[in-house]
Amino acid sequence: MKDLKTAWKAQQVEVNAMTSLVEVRARAAEVEAGVRRRNLALYVYSAASILVSAWLIARGAFPAMRYPMVLMVAAHLMVLWQINRRIAARRLPADLGARPAIDFHREQLERQAHGLSRAWLWYMLPFLVPFVWELGIMLHRIQTGEAPPEAPRLLAVFVVTGVLFWTAVLLAFSRAALKARLEIERLSALQAN
Amino acid sequence: MAQDELFLGAIAEFGPALARLAAAYEADWDQRRDLLQDVKLALWRSFAGYAGQCSMRTWVFRVAHNTAISTRLRRRKLGLVSLDELADLAAADDPEATVGNAHVLARLQAMIRRLKPPDDQVMLLYLEDQDAAAIAEITGLSAGAVATRIHRVKQLLSNRLRQAPGQQGEAA
Repeated sequence: MKDLKTAWKAQQVEVNAMTSLVEVRARAAEVEAGVRRRNLALYVYSAASILVSAWLIARGAFPAMRYPMVLMVAAHLMVLWQINRRIAARRLPADLGARPAIDFHREQLERQAHGLSRAWLWYMLPFLVPFVWELGIMLHRIQTGEAPPEAPRLLAVFVVTGVLFWTAVLLAFSRAALKARLEIERLSALQAN
Repeated sequence: MAQDELFLGAIAEFGPALARLAAAYEADWDQRRDLLQDVKLALWRSFAGYAGQCSMRTWVFRVAHNTAISTRLRRRKLGLVSLDELADLAAADDPEATVGNAHVLARLQAMIRRLKPPDDQVMLLYLEDQDAAAIAEITGLSAGAVATRIHRVKQLLSNRLRQAPGQQGEAA
């Protein structure tokens, strides 16, 4: 076994990657630039989303859907803000060396599980409210005869697509949260031994 | 500039071990390089808060393993197994178990990549010649749990890395 350890330590690896402080600072700047680029992309997307919706509302397109559309824009912005907040929180803390690996691992999983198990609140609900509102308006227009003849079929397609899509999203989030919780339990049991 | 001096000292002493850690966790050359750079950046940042809370060795290995955990969680690597499961996966008559010296390291790295935390950490730190107390301090496992794992690691390594004729003793 000693020979194996010797062979392990004698392996050829690239040890010269980023050994100077100049390179470390350059890497730190690169990481920060990446964060700024991601933020910029989110801001551009948010601005475009607002502008398109504002333009549609201003020119009187879909007047009945005006308020749900405004709410849908707000939902987009809220979810973007949440994603940005959660990605920012994912950055490695400065006190990595102060925490044993198993504690750090569990903390990361707990944060992940918390976000995933509450995804219905921060990811689904903001979109579901305007979506249901829009469906309600469509249904009302069908019942009062204001809607075009193809509206009932369109409504059925919307409802089925919406239910399937959001159920799949909820199941995916729940499954990932469950896996994280099981892993947390495994780590806790290991540490208790 | 204590932070810079600590970093340079740590790299001088543990640089090769960090490179081996990156090589063990990442098969892809670019990802390996990225992980090594992330570890070194995290290490440099961490030294701003280092005030001798633990030994330099423990600090460096904790930062390295915690950074690797974070990367692995981000990539959501599937199909990881425990030491016991990995031992079960290796049939005694596995023809690949008889390996030449050139392939020993590659197989060791492949084994580490398949293991769940903290088993991968224990195996890696064991190969880095860290004793049970040091491994316990770095991983957060109890000394007893580490000892049990080291025993399993030894068994696994001797079963999985039997040497080809003429190379006896390598994994003995």
